[in-house]
Amino acid sequence: MKETRNFEEHAEKAIVGGTMSKLQRVLLGAAAVGLAAASLAAQTPPLYTKWINYTVANGFPEGEVYSVAVAGSRVWAGTSNGLVLIENGKVKRVFTPADGLAGRAVMSVAVDQQTGDVWAGTFGGLSRYSAGQFKNYTNLTSGLANDLVYSVAIQGKYVWAATAAGVSRLNTDTGDWTIFNEQNSPFDEPWAYSIAFSKDKAYMGLWGGGVLVYDLEHHYWRSYTDPDGSMEIVLYRNQGLIHMIVSSIAYNPDTKMFWAGTYFGLSGYDGRNWHNYLTKDSGLASDFINAVQSRGDEVWACTQKGLSELDYRTNTWVTYRPANWQALDSAKTEKTGPGEIIITRPDGKKDRVETPTSLPHNYILNMTFQGKDIWVATAGGLSHGIPKSDKEEPHHESASNRR
Amino acid sequence: MIRKDRRRALLLLSVIALLALVGGSGLRAASDESLRISQDSDGVLARYLNPTALKLSPDGRRLFVVCEASNLVLVVDTRTRQVVGRIGVGNRPEGIALSPDGTTLYVTNEWSNTVSKIDASSLQVVGTLKTGWGPAGVTTDRAGKFLYTANTLGDNISVINLSTGEEIKRLEAGHFPEYVALSRNGKWVYVSNLLAHTAPPEKPPVSQLTVIDTERQVVSNRISIPEAIQLRYIAQLPANEGGYLLVPFQQPHNLIPLVQIRQGWYLTNGLAVIRPSPSSGQQATVMELLLDDIDRYYADGFGSASTSDGRYALITASGANTVSIIDINRLNRLLSQLPPGNPLALAHRLDSARQIVIKRIHTGRNPTAVVVSPDNKFAYIANRTDDTVTVIDLQQLKVVSTIGLGGPKEITPVRRGEQLFFDARFCYQGQLACASCHPHEGFEDGLAWSLETPELGRDVVENRTLLDISETSPFKWNGLNPDLATQDGPRTAMYIFRSQGFSHDQVKDLVSYIQSLKLPPNPHVNKNGRLTEAQERGRAVFFRTTTNNGTIIPEHDRCYYCHAPQTHYTSRVRMDVGTSTRFDTVKEFDIPQLEGVFMRAPYLHNGEALTLEEIWTKFNPDDKHGITSDMNKVQLNDLIEFLKTL
Repeated sequence: MKETRNFEEHAEKAIVGGTMSKLQRVLLGAAAVGLAAASLAAQTPPLYTKWINYTVANGFPEGEVYSVAVAGSRVWAGTSNGLVLIENGKVKRVFTPADGLAGRAVMSVAVDQQTGDVWAGTFGGLSRYSAGQFKNYTNLTSGLANDLVYSVAIQGKYVWAATAAGVSRLNTDTGDWTIFNEQNSPFDEPWAYSIAFSKDKAYMGLWGGGVLVYDLEHHYWRSYTDPDGSMEIVLYRNQGLIHMIVSSIAYNPDTKMFWAGTYFGLSGYDGRNWHNYLTKDSGLASDFINAVQSRGDEVWACTQKGLSELDYRTNTWVTYRPANWQALDSAKTEKTGPGEIIITRPDGKKDRVETPTSLPHNYILNMTFQGKDIWVATAGGLSHGIPKSDKEEPHHESASNRR
Repeated sequence: MIRKDRRRALLLLSVIALLALVGGSGLRAASDESLRISQDSDGVLARYLNPTALKLSPDGRRLFVVCEASNLVLVVDTRTRQVVGRIGVGNRPEGIALSPDGTTLYVTNEWSNTVSKIDASSLQVVGTLKTGWGPAGVTTDRAGKFLYTANTLGDNISVINLSTGEEIKRLEAGHFPEYVALSRNGKWVYVSNLLAHTAPPEKPPVSQLTVIDTERQVVSNRISIPEAIQLRYIAQLPANEGGYLLVPFQQPHNLIPLVQIRQGWYLTNGLAVIRPSPSSGQQATVMELLLDDIDRYYADGFGSASTSDGRYALITASGANTVSIIDINRLNRLLSQLPPGNPLALAHRLDSARQIVIKRIHTGRNPTAVVVSPDNKFAYIANRTDDTVTVIDLQQLKVVSTIGLGGPKEITPVRRGEQLFFDARFCYQGQLACASCHPHEGFEDGLAWSLETPELGRDVVENRTLLDISETSPFKWNGLNPDLATQDGPRTAMYIFRSQGFSHDQVKDLVSYIQSLKLPPNPHVNKNGRLTEAQERGRAVFFRTTTNNGTIIPEHDRCYYCHAPQTHYTSRVRMDVGTSTRFDTVKEFDIPQLEGVFMRAPYLHNGEALTLEEIWTKFNPDDKHGITSDMNKVQLNDLIEFLKTL
């Protein structure tokens, strides 16, 4: 930006002073456009222009994909019809209750990087998959609070499960269970949807209960709620959590912020200030957010109308979805059609980029990272997003103020 | 004549006096210490040793002997066959490993939850490492950088960084992991699990050999060993002989009525021959074959070793005081004739041993570990209840020496009882000893058994612990045996051993030993003895007198009424708690003591409750087993946290 301004000042002096030839003016103009383009490009996060999809066409089970986790060369996906293992780019195995999985619908998957164990939160309990065998924990057979497990997360030797009746924690060294719910913790609502960790805190997203943060060392709680209370309007912007129905929570160790995806917008908290986003005045594809993830300067919101990425530093949004997303239904997801990328600049201007491949569906349920690549769980399959390489030329439409 | 009569009279009086002391009430246990201590001829108190693990130095000149009852590691010079060193370690040492460079010994202390690190030259303990609960088997990796311990009570394996001395992770094993071996190529650590997976009582047992990838330090395979329990020491044949793992096991036919013992094949003993998978994720192949003969059984396979030239394998039978020498060529020939993919092709045949076992050699009492010298000339076998080591010449295949380890010469009644406990010769055809169903010195095996009852096939009952039971009579799930002498005397002879059984004096000794058995330290209890918040809340639930809405709970429905704390959490009567099934001939069952309950899954008289939770979530619909239907999940969880501390 500074380089552009200096150039402009110099150019202005030259033009006003009439010391510039016509050729020089043409060259100057071209340089200005180039610099502006370069500046815009620097503000735009890397674009994902290539999508490899896993659907019923290539062995993936039918139905929604709720979660995805990566462990080395293995990708685990939780779906409405089982737990899927993808290895070396191919569907290797689909696990169902017939194989020992606790429940058919797998809402969440987490891999313990220490032990290699895979934990699946299902609607029939919690499953641990280790070296070919399942071991299950249910409400009746263990200290798991409830068999509807929405989210599972690993924190050292602890496995945490967010369930419909509170949060359960298993100490894998001792086999001891601890339950956090309205009986012993400040849960206004026991329905826990999501859980994430920093080094010393547990962040819990509750459906209708806001965000609860538990200090792991000192054992105290802090509650974050919507200052608008139960009103379905945002009266107090950036003064608290955007909404009490929190579907997902993520902690970013780089920025030390936690992000809450709600059904009515996106909230970020840096420990002092809230940063809230709504569709009406940002590039967020939809206020209905199923999941949120964050790393570095990136915040990813998995919405019902596409996958939106916020570059927090530059306040630039990028949304990915199938080009025909408004007409899409599940029957049409077997083949990947073209996709669209909507870039929303800080000033509100939008750019549209078309890509030859796309996500299989606009209803995004979750995502995760694999190096520079991303994996996206959608209502129509799993998608592997690969960022644009330098050689690739994306199709680019002219900028407009389209919403 | 008169002198003889006087002597007889005195002898008779002594016997009468002794009977008066023991009759009716049974022998009372002395303190834990005195039951394993006798006085030697100089009047010096000494402990029995109970050697259970062996390790040879790389040059074969020193034999390290782990002595679990005396908290010692002895050093034996194999040339002189004399004890030349004694090293004091932690509480109840079980396993031993040697660093690859031979400079450091690592000894697990099962009741201290530690590993003693010993300088192999100076024989000094130079450090102590913390582990998980109940460490037994141990090995280093090939580079000597990491240590792996099998934690019996934790059902996991500790991985310890030897540079820092810190545990870096714990990996889940099977049920009661006990023995560990490093593969010959250093790529894998194998862990054998003593007990089968906890499963519904009507299912045949399935055990697990856990395989750890040493590069990634994760569990890469869980090899199922069907119809087997009590997997013990692991030996690996050289690669040119197939590279098989050889793991002794016991094959119980526990759901067949016990009367089957009269026809044999009730409790057989065999060898799992496992071809490990070449890489993670690939299937290993398992073949089970029996080492018993059709008319003679070799109970409780324990130690396993092979010569480095692949000529022989040696398997000790700790209940038969025997080591079986297996010809590996013959074993390979037998295996080559079998169709692949059926691990049980030989598992029910009693003719394998005569094809592969070339000799059975008598050892001392209760042989456990076996190791082979690096030059393949000698094998050394630890005899636990003799405090000796048998030396076998492998060229002549005979015993050439028995090394006395210096245990007390006097044999106390408790010691005699201990020897009897592990001895299967009192059972018809030597099929089983007490220890066969109560492994690890008195634990329960986690299986349900069809013991003798008025009606065959009914009253299948869960095995019970023998630890700390001296004040918990009556015995048997139906509570009909008033004391241990009744339990172990004529009843055992008639219904279990199907033989003459023990003599009267032997019963007394056996009872003395059983009464000496103690629970291990409870890892759920903080070292300072204070309960956690959850455990305190659970304690309050246990002692509650009202329900959540304030209704008074009748006294006989309160937890502490039947599980009285002052008598080991059993009121020592029989109760109907609504758990009898159509397969039971009785409705009332002896109230089990709750001490040590955390390690006794499965639960209830028939083992139907696989976890503590299930006792109330599945098997107490009418609140007959305590008033629990009003409890919320947190209360139940807290109650269980408290019960685990008992």
